Amino acid sequence: MKDSRPNLGIVLFIAIGVVPFAAAFLYALLYSFGIIGVANTGFTTEFWTSIWASGTFFSSFLYSAAIALVAVIISVGGALWATLKFQKRLQQKFLSFIIYLPLAVPGVVTGFFTFQLFSKGGFFARLSYQMGWITEASQFPDLVNDALAFGIVLSFIAMVMPFFLLLFLNVHKNERIEELSVLARSLGASAKQVTRLIFLPILIKKTWVLIVLYFIFLLGAYEVPLILGQESPQMLSVLIIREIKQYDLSKISEGYVVAVMYTLIVSLAAVLLFLPKKGRYVRPNGVEKEE
Amino acid sequence: MSKIPIIIFLVLLSFSCADQPSQDDEALKTDSWEEIARKAKGTTVNFMMWQGSPVINDYINNYVVPSVKKEYNIDLNISGGQGPEIVQLVMGEKQADIERGQVDMVWINGETFFQLRKVDGLWGPFVHQLPNAKYINMDDPFINTDFQQPVEGMEAPWSITQFAMVYDSAKIGNPPKTLPQLTEYLRKHPGTFTISNDFTGMTLLKSFLAELGGSPTSLDGPFDEEKYTKLSQQLWKYINAHKKYFWKEGRTFPKEQSKMGQLYANGELLLVYGFSEGGIEEKVLSGLYPESTRGYAWKNGTIKNSNYLGIVYNAPEKAGAMQVIDFLLSPEAQLKKADVNGMNSNTVLNLESLPSDWQEKFKKGTKRRYGPEMIDLENNAIAEPAPEYMIRLYEDFRKQVIEQ
Repeated sequence: MKDSRPNLGIVLFIAIGVVPFAAAFLYALLYSFGIIGVANTGFTTEFWTSIWASGTFFSSFLYSAAIALVAVIISVGGALWATLKFQKRLQQKFLSFIIYLPLAVPGVVTGFFTFQLFSKGGFFARLSYQMGWITEASQFPDLVNDALAFGIVLSFIAMVMPFFLLLFLNVHKNERIEELSVLARSLGASAKQVTRLIFLPILIKKTWVLIVLYFIFLLGAYEVPLILGQESPQMLSVLIIREIKQYDLSKISEGYVVAVMYTLIVSLAAVLLFLPKKGRYVRPNGVEKEE
Repeated sequence: MSKIPIIIFLVLLSFSCADQPSQDDEALKTDSWEEIARKAKGTTVNFMMWQGSPVINDYINNYVVPSVKKEYNIDLNISGGQGPEIVQLVMGEKQADIERGQVDMVWINGETFFQLRKVDGLWGPFVHQLPNAKYINMDDPFINTDFQQPVEGMEAPWSITQFAMVYDSAKIGNPPKTLPQLTEYLRKHPGTFTISNDFTGMTLLKSFLAELGGSPTSLDGPFDEEKYTKLSQQLWKYINAHKKYFWKEGRTFPKEQSKMGQLYANGELLLVYGFSEGGIEEKVLSGLYPESTRGYAWKNGTIKNSNYLGIVYNAPEKAGAMQVIDFLLSPEAQLKKADVNGMNSNTVLNLESLPSDWQEKFKKGTKRRYGPEMIDLENNAIAEPAPEYMIRLYEDFRKQVIEQ
């Protein structure tokens, strides 16, 4: 008798994962062309033309990508450095608990914490005032709702770095990097060579998919940029919600245009990144080579 | 596997079985009040409203909900949501042809009224059926007209309010009342003023626009493209010339008024503004604003308007919603709502039309200690201009100021 369980799994995946997403995408697509929508009057390309001409989407996309990239690079870099330097100490119960703690804090709370700490009327501004470093609030540097997105990047790092640290510690343990490093050193490798040829390649290779996924996750973040971002340019999700909730109902479709464009770009990137690479094989030593 | 098509069929069937309306909605517009009250008894009414203020939540949850349960056996459920959420919900339900919506009644302002009217999202007229409507002066232009649109019984006024400037009198001796005075203020106190990119900020811009127009009535009447273009160009020129003196040197603007309130509370801003005569009393009493906070009206005038209660086009319990709205307009509920230590909102009732004992009760009510009374500002009250002004201001403030 044929086992039907795998088929049921696929059906459930399609029913829960694919159909709602596809339906939502189709809804957004139809809305973006004015085909549906209570305030729309029928098929038109004016919303696409308007978004394309304004350049808002592209400036917002580049701004979001730059913020997500900086946050991921700093988080991954910091987590790698901490793993390399302190992996033994971080295995201790108390410290590993401390690392887990930030993962339980929702993004919106992290955003508010950052605002309370770094705004011109926040904790550090008050401390600076008490210490006599500044004489009024406006002298404190612009660290939230600022053009360089310092507050957003800082919140992202606080949210993401602990995750990567835990991930790298686990991979470090499971892949026996410590043993491999001892072996390499006994064969005469320097500390730099161990880091460059063993530690980094194994950790990055084992986790790059998650690193990319986190980049995509941060690209579409909403609460943190809503609290800590500026009014222009805005990160993509904030821009989409702003357009969809706008006062002029006849222009709501522009929000759906942005949502469709964003979905297409991210989906395309995901397909290109995660599609099985034909014509490649992996050597026993782990190095990929073109056939 | 053979069960899957059956499951899919059942799911599709459940979607296709739309609920039928539970009562004859049209009859409610002509039924006697006794009949409406009978239909309302024992119903569950869903009320979507802004829940961002502890005193409003306290009034609703601890006074209105138990009162309507006790007097009319109505279960009043409150859900959070204001303008855009209400409009999105109604548009979504309209799109999906949902005949029995999630929400029966909504608390709205002129902005949302305009949007809901545009998509036929409100049910009515119904106000003429409410017994307590007789205490409201429907000839008052600040009540019978919302954003230059006649209300025509499609929404019931709940509170009346005037926009006011708010400042810290301990730090600002002589607050600005005109645009030239604002220039002086900005140069003297750089970084302490801004314009929120929301309904409140756009309302301030309407006051500025009216001043540039030369009189409190300069924006009255239907939308005038030529007038708007001329005045708005002057306005953007003024703001762009001064924004280096704004909060964060005008590089960004607060998203909403609540954020501006926080900035005022922590001393970053010294001059803010808002409806409900600035919303000062509650914020001082709760310790958010300093006791030296005071409010005033712009010399050329600030917007005065009402906020309203509406019934959604597909409300399942329209009779129940009418009963709850009538209760909210009762002298008892309006007096409780006017309590300065509570919701502190101006009544929409015409005191002269009330029975003498109620008139006395309203007159004996405690006066505000910090914020101005609406009567002190009413000489500087101006009406909401046509909705197109708001649409254009939103759009152009972003294009001409924020993105510059």
